[in-house]
Amino acid sequence: MTPAVSVTGLTRRYPDHVALDDVHLTIGTETITGLLGRNGAGKTTLLRILAGQEFPSSGSVHVLGSPPAENENVLRRLVLVREDQEYPDYQGYPDFKVSHALRAASFCYQNWDAGLASSLLEDFGLRANKAVKSLSRGQRSALGITIGLAARAEVTLFDEPYAGLDAVARQVFYDRLLAEYADFPRTVVLSTHLIDEAAALFENVVVIDRGRVVLDAAADGLRGMVTAVSGPVLAVDSFTQGRPVWERRGLGSQASVVMVGQLSGEDRERARSLGLDLAPLSLQQLVARAPGWAVGAGSLTERTSV
Amino acid sequence: MIRVARYQLTRPVLFVALPLATLACVFAVDVGRGGDTFRGGLAVVLLMFFVTGLQRTGRWLPFGLALGATRRSFYAGTALLGVSMSLLYGLVIAGLQAIERATDGWGLSVTCFRSPHLLNGPWYATWLTSFVGLSALFLYGMWFGIVNRRWGMLGLIAFIALQVLVGLAVMFAYPNVGGHLDSLDGLDLTGVTAALAVVFLAGGHATVRRVTV
Repeated sequence: MTPAVSVTGLTRRYPDHVALDDVHLTIGTETITGLLGRNGAGKTTLLRILAGQEFPSSGSVHVLGSPPAENENVLRRLVLVREDQEYPDYQGYPDFKVSHALRAASFCYQNWDAGLASSLLEDFGLRANKAVKSLSRGQRSALGITIGLAARAEVTLFDEPYAGLDAVARQVFYDRLLAEYADFPRTVVLSTHLIDEAAALFENVVVIDRGRVVLDAAADGLRGMVTAVSGPVLAVDSFTQGRPVWERRGLGSQASVVMVGQLSGEDRERARSLGLDLAPLSLQQLVARAPGWAVGAGSLTERTSV
Repeated sequence: MIRVARYQLTRPVLFVALPLATLACVFAVDVGRGGDTFRGGLAVVLLMFFVTGLQRTGRWLPFGLALGATRRSFYAGTALLGVSMSLLYGLVIAGLQAIERATDGWGLSVTCFRSPHLLNGPWYATWLTSFVGLSALFLYGMWFGIVNRRWGMLGLIAFIALQVLVGLAVMFAYPNVGGHLDSLDGLDLTGVTAALAVVFLAGGHATVRRVTV
């Protein structure tokens, strides 16, 4: 089956920096992928290139089997919701309203669901007759999410879609995204900083750092992949001997080590007998360490086996 | 292309109502001042088409691309809409001119829609000249909007400076160009404007191809 997204050797250079550096990436159809990384890592540039809004310096990009740039057959089946989306709400023309944005989107997406859009507006407490210019940051995010979900596009890209949204509204987004995905499966790529909050959504995780993909793995494989082991120094050393270790900290007779690799039932029993505490790293903790992991000697084999 | 035109018409105020309101204002000012001298108030409508072309590309492009339009379809759809509106407003101006002529200046000897040189022929010549002029200004404005979107304010300044340089070069190369233009009648000038409109259309299209948002 043709993947929804296929990127090979993608590089995007700007005069003062390299935003993407030899990126290779494949995203299957009907999956939810978390696109994670620090500010300025290259996530937005990647999503803009996938949506044909930016051009690569080199490399190949295919979305739904074809290059997206200036390709209406691809772009009409794709929606990109950006945190910094510009609307036609400029000075002197402030009456571009939420309803106008939705009407415009309804012209453009053949699977547009007006009922869903209305229901989402209600959930987010957003009035359709409100001028886009007067929306708060969170309300603009709600408008973007509404368009992104109601478009029911085959490829739905969310770039930090919930900036400014409160916790309740974010939960609405997660719930509605999952419900929509169950009813109308599609390829969703969600770029976010709120990693642990959204972690349960992801089937795949892609981490970008300084323009390079440093982690590309199934989310299930990552869970329990890295564990913090703490306890008496001698017991910790004994337990982690021969295993890949990311990080080691010591305080007096106690030590804490971040260790890579799935633990068996036997391992857990041994840890208990040694008086060690085992705490799996959350996805957010894991992502925070991923750049170092990728460049760290001896750890790359673990990465490829995830 | 049609989807882009529909997108542009989600708020048709600037396209439909504002030019009409401007025409009404121009007319009201001319009537208020009285006299049968053409004061060039119609230039305000031309200016409005320029500004509309500028805003409809620079400001409407990002959301248009977000909704899946390509740069080419956005450009073609917006240009098509602007040219269609020019056709319509050309007809409105020709109609108003016919009424003005038939009523001897609205019964007040006012000259608002008859320019001595450009717009003083039969209704179809007025229609054609107005249509071409409005289209050219709209396309010119679109080109400015795209240049601004692609290269920002510095690019826009360079774009204007380049045109000034080209204009000066033409004047130096052909010192009689001004006199030659003066000798042209309304339809000849319409032809020159149409040629410029084609240049603007091609220039805007070439510029929009690598715009990013």
